[in-house]
Amino acid sequence: MLALQLLATGLVTGCALGVVAISFSLVYATTKIFHVAHAGIYTLGGYLAWSLVMSGIPMPVAVVISVGACAALGALIQSQLYARLERRRATHLVVLIASLGALAVIQNIIAAVYTPNILQFPLQWSSRMVSVGVVRMNYTQLLTIVISLIAYVGTMLFAHRTILGKRIRAVASNPMLADITRLQPQTVYVYVIAIASALVCLPGILVPLDLGLQPYNGVTPLLTATIAMIAGGVGSITGAFVLSVGIAVVQNLSLLVMPGEWSIGVTFFIFVIFMLFRPTGLFTAR
Amino acid sequence: MDFLFSYIVLAEIYVLLGLSTNLLVGIVGIFSVSQAAVFGVGAYLVAHFTMATDPLSFIPSMVIAAVCCVALNILVTLPSLRVSGDYFVVTSFGIQLLATAVFTNWTAGTGGANGLPGIPPPDLFGLPIETTPQYAWLCTGAVVLGCLGFFLIMRAPFGRLLRAIREDETAVAAAGKNVLRAKVSAAALAGAFAGTAGGLYAAFLSFIDPSSFDLDASILLLTMVVVGGARTLAGSIIGPFLLLALPQLLTLVDIPTTIAAAARQLIYGLLLIMFMLFRPQGLAGERL
Repeated sequence: MLALQLLATGLVTGCALGVVAISFSLVYATTKIFHVAHAGIYTLGGYLAWSLVMSGIPMPVAVVISVGACAALGALIQSQLYARLERRRATHLVVLIASLGALAVIQNIIAAVYTPNILQFPLQWSSRMVSVGVVRMNYTQLLTIVISLIAYVGTMLFAHRTILGKRIRAVASNPMLADITRLQPQTVYVYVIAIASALVCLPGILVPLDLGLQPYNGVTPLLTATIAMIAGGVGSITGAFVLSVGIAVVQNLSLLVMPGEWSIGVTFFIFVIFMLFRPTGLFTAR
Repeated sequence: MDFLFSYIVLAEIYVLLGLSTNLLVGIVGIFSVSQAAVFGVGAYLVAHFTMATDPLSFIPSMVIAAVCCVALNILVTLPSLRVSGDYFVVTSFGIQLLATAVFTNWTAGTGGANGLPGIPPPDLFGLPIETTPQYAWLCTGAVVLGCLGFFLIMRAPFGRLLRAIREDETAVAAAGKNVLRAKVSAAALAGAFAGTAGGLYAAFLSFIDPSSFDLDASILLLTMVVVGGARTLAGSIIGPFLLLALPQLLTLVDIPTTIAAAARQLIYGLLLIMFMLFRPQGLAGERL
């Protein structure tokens, strides 16, 4: 019974995490940048939506505005930071340090404006409970599963059916060739980070709707999502999503035998196992 | 006067940490945000051994802490560096978060979020070191030793090998050198520096808590190396002295205390971005 309830919570967390993993995977597979600042965008999305809801704007509109703002910020980071560094032929390490700097800036602006305390969304419906079979969930959790699955299917369709999606995959597989054939990798990178930032804004709002907002809460989900991406195989959207759900379920089930503070240890243990035995991931891209 | 001395002591401890970070990030070119975790392990170990029911004196505790940090760094870097640099980014974030979880939640061993008070002052072979100026001498000695070690290693064939790896890993491997072993050795050395710094820190403040060893602390260390300048001895010395003066300067500006910590971290973040964009070599370093 408790195990089933934990399994359900694991599925919810896993779906939200899956969207973080897909979005990070999009950026990482295409630009090869280890985009740590993504965690900041994830956090910012929730705070923006909270501010908008607090000022009386209905939730759906608030979500749309936040998603747009996150996409704009992502595009800004790519075009003003990463692209500049790229033009100066900065090393991978320099880009990574700059990204970490951007993360620190975003997180601490949030902490300075909203204080580091937990904030809750002032919505009545979000915590109303429903019974699904033998487990009980609230509306937010159900909504998280539905929206995350839509985001996953949408990303798959986008990557395989649309022209921009194909162009992104072309740039990801061979930037040099894409440049020669006038696919303009640098423009594609801006699109990719904008799309990924818009995507990551969704779990960035949905998770705090259930658990509340805190300015430094983005790093752990991003780390877990990165581990899921690597374990799933870099470049594989399905792999990233499936492994996120898997890791979140294992994490939640581990609560049966150990307290929740150690769940980061469980995640990390999974990563070490993959690193030692299957560093290319389960769903290796063709 | 005591205030000036404690500033010098802290800055010197951070110089040791700066050397450690510089070795890893600047010279070998491995991105790491887990330096503060290793620093913390050193601090907690020294606290543990000097406060045990059957206490060890300061020097043996420091040696044990340094050895443990070396072992920890080898254990952490070996599996991930075998695969690729980005795997180590994940590993170092993971170790940092895991260490913070252990420092905060393992109440029996670390005192949890309340910290660990009452760490005894150090002694050198029976000679007690109690006042801040005396401690400043001890730290100066440690820093001089550390800098000398760093300088000698950089001049040695091993140092040249490390710098060659940063320039072109494939070429080094093609020349028949064992790249993985060199990288792991550098990480081990960085662990020894960080562990020693941790021990000095614990004994100086006589109180430690998890907030000194979290991700923000790692970002601060990285900022010190970036601002001071990567890959040079001067850089690792200038950075800590400058950045530790920054909080004092901030107290002159009228910022509410509730956001002071965030404001400080915000400045570190801005410094990282600005230096990477406009001066990647820092104030006194070489190109990163």
